[in-house]
Amino acid sequence: MPTGDYDSKPSWADQVEEEGDDDKCITSELLKDLPLKDLPLSGGLKDTPSNGGLKDTPLSGDLSADVELLKGGPLPSPKELINGNIKTITEYREEEDGRKVKIIRTFRIETRKASKAVARRKNWKKFGNSEFDAPGPNVATTTVSDDVFMTFITSKEDLNCQEEEDPMNKLKGQKIVSCRICKGDHWTTRCPYKDTLGPMQKELAEQLGLSTGEKEKLPGEPEPVQAQQSKTGKYVPPSLRDGASRRGESMQPNRRADDNATIRVTNLSEDTRETDLQELFRPFGSISRIYLAKDKTTGQSKGFAFISFHRREDAARAIAGVSGFGYDHLILNVEWAKPSTN
Amino acid sequence: MKPILLQGHERSITQIKYNREGDLLFTVAKDPIVNVWYSINGERLGTYNGHTGAVWCVDADWDTRHVLTGSADNSCRLWDCETGKQLALVKTNSAVRTCGFDFGGNIIMFSTDKQMGYQCFVSFFDLRDPSQIESDEPYMKIPCNESKITSAVWGPLGEFVIAGHENGELNQFSAKSGELLVNVKEHTKQINDIQTSRDMTMFITASKDNSAKLFDSTTLEHQKSFRTERPVNSAALSPIFDHVVLGGGQEAMDVTTTSTRIGKFEARFFHLGVEEEFGRIKGHFGPINSVAFHPDGKSYSSGGEDGYVRIHYFDPQYFEFEFEA
Repeated sequence: MPTGDYDSKPSWADQVEEEGDDDKCITSELLKDLPLKDLPLSGGLKDTPSNGGLKDTPLSGDLSADVELLKGGPLPSPKELINGNIKTITEYREEEDGRKVKIIRTFRIETRKASKAVARRKNWKKFGNSEFDAPGPNVATTTVSDDVFMTFITSKEDLNCQEEEDPMNKLKGQKIVSCRICKGDHWTTRCPYKDTLGPMQKELAEQLGLSTGEKEKLPGEPEPVQAQQSKTGKYVPPSLRDGASRRGESMQPNRRADDNATIRVTNLSEDTRETDLQELFRPFGSISRIYLAKDKTTGQSKGFAFISFHRREDAARAIAGVSGFGYDHLILNVEWAKPSTN
Repeated sequence: MKPILLQGHERSITQIKYNREGDLLFTVAKDPIVNVWYSINGERLGTYNGHTGAVWCVDADWDTRHVLTGSADNSCRLWDCETGKQLALVKTNSAVRTCGFDFGGNIIMFSTDKQMGYQCFVSFFDLRDPSQIESDEPYMKIPCNESKITSAVWGPLGEFVIAGHENGELNQFSAKSGELLVNVKEHTKQINDIQTSRDMTMFITASKDNSAKLFDSTTLEHQKSFRTERPVNSAALSPIFDHVVLGGGQEAMDVTTTSTRIGKFEARFFHLGVEEEFGRIKGHFGPINSVAFHPDGKSYSSGGEDGYVRIHYFDPQYFEFEFEA
């Protein structure tokens, strides 16, 4: 594109001509859709024969507006072109941000027969806020809207619509909603104990008291090591894993036991940290390992984690307690982890 | 169809009305400007400027010489249709809710709201007697003690006025003596709109109780009911088919608290005889406050809470459509 003002003018003119040609095609298509065409041209004649004398009324139907972005150059003066019954108005305008815009509006001029009174009214001078409007529709107040269609409905569909609304009312009547946290008559998300696990945690704490008591009887359970392990989430060499201190036992059964008490938590939010998981699952029993999948570069959670408990019962309780629990803004999904293939 | 969109108002539309031939469309809204448009192409002919409050109602006389508007600025004004000049101003004590010319265009009727300690009245002025306007003294004033009038139209031949009330009652008042001729109560809530058929033998009411009903003009006998699941703000009878168009939707204050189905704002077409819905037209993004059929029945217009007026010219399908009962 030439940048100079004078250079750009001729290329502009070419453009205008080309665009003009294209436009005609478009508008003639548009014309077909226009409602005005469907009306009989002599409607006024039939309705009011008693009014006698007929008069031609020139009408213009607003058809379409095409906006085009222009570059450089001064603003050419607006053009009005009447070709048969098609009136094309080309305007140029400078936008606030300095862009220059060419607007092509196409109108169809229609002549209809109408009664004297209507024809006289059609020639009235505009007044009030429209006093200075040019003849024809003013785009500030009159535009053509998008195509709409009448949707025809049969009585059957209508009945279906009514039925659709009924089931909801039925649900409202019955008290089928029960909170998973406190068993109250509300949705779990509206539970006042939502963020704390509330009553369930108390219940668990009691159970935990029993289970920890039992656990203490078990030999070789180095608590502090586990806590450290779960915090870091790093690879733990077998020598440091639980049971490593137990002699004479092969790795195999122990490993299986570990697998058996592992749960998979999915649909975690990105902000989840291992400590959060620890906090969430500790009430259910002692945790041997927490693995939270994280993105290598960003360090953000990938949305899933594995949590290994020492005891399978604890894991089962955790599944029952936390599955479907709303954490952050998401509903957690907790299930048994599948044994790893290797 | 491609509706013509008229953007002449800044607030929600309160009423739209065609003149007798249907070449002009008058629109009023909760802003003080009264607009008149050529219905054929949506070109604005002009505005009637002078009101200082929301305009509730508009009417044009038989030969479209005069326009009457009633407003919440406690005035009813008469305008010259062609030039937009104000011809007369009647001051009232409270907002003017409904207004209308009688058949001959000589007598005007309007009703005022029950508000600010004033009662609801139906006032009748004879335009041939200028002293009535000058002194703001109607030749007849009918008080309505119980419930205020929310919509009113002239009956056939200018013999009586049919008024719909806030409590759902319909009353027929004689235009000669002012006495109450007939009283019926078919609606349970406010009657938002009354429109007569082309020959004025029947009229249709639109009520907040989610229904529209067809009545006989002289006896106020209930004929048909059209039920929806939302308040009906306006109803119009087709002059050429046995069709009814209903406009409505939930009240503006309820829009944000109820389900967001856009379908609530459609214009709905019912068959007059079998009382069943057969079609819908979308477009407005707020409740429809007023609908009107063009007197030739080939187009209809609707004005909504969104402040737009849309003129719809029916597709050929509408004329070919036959209702299967």
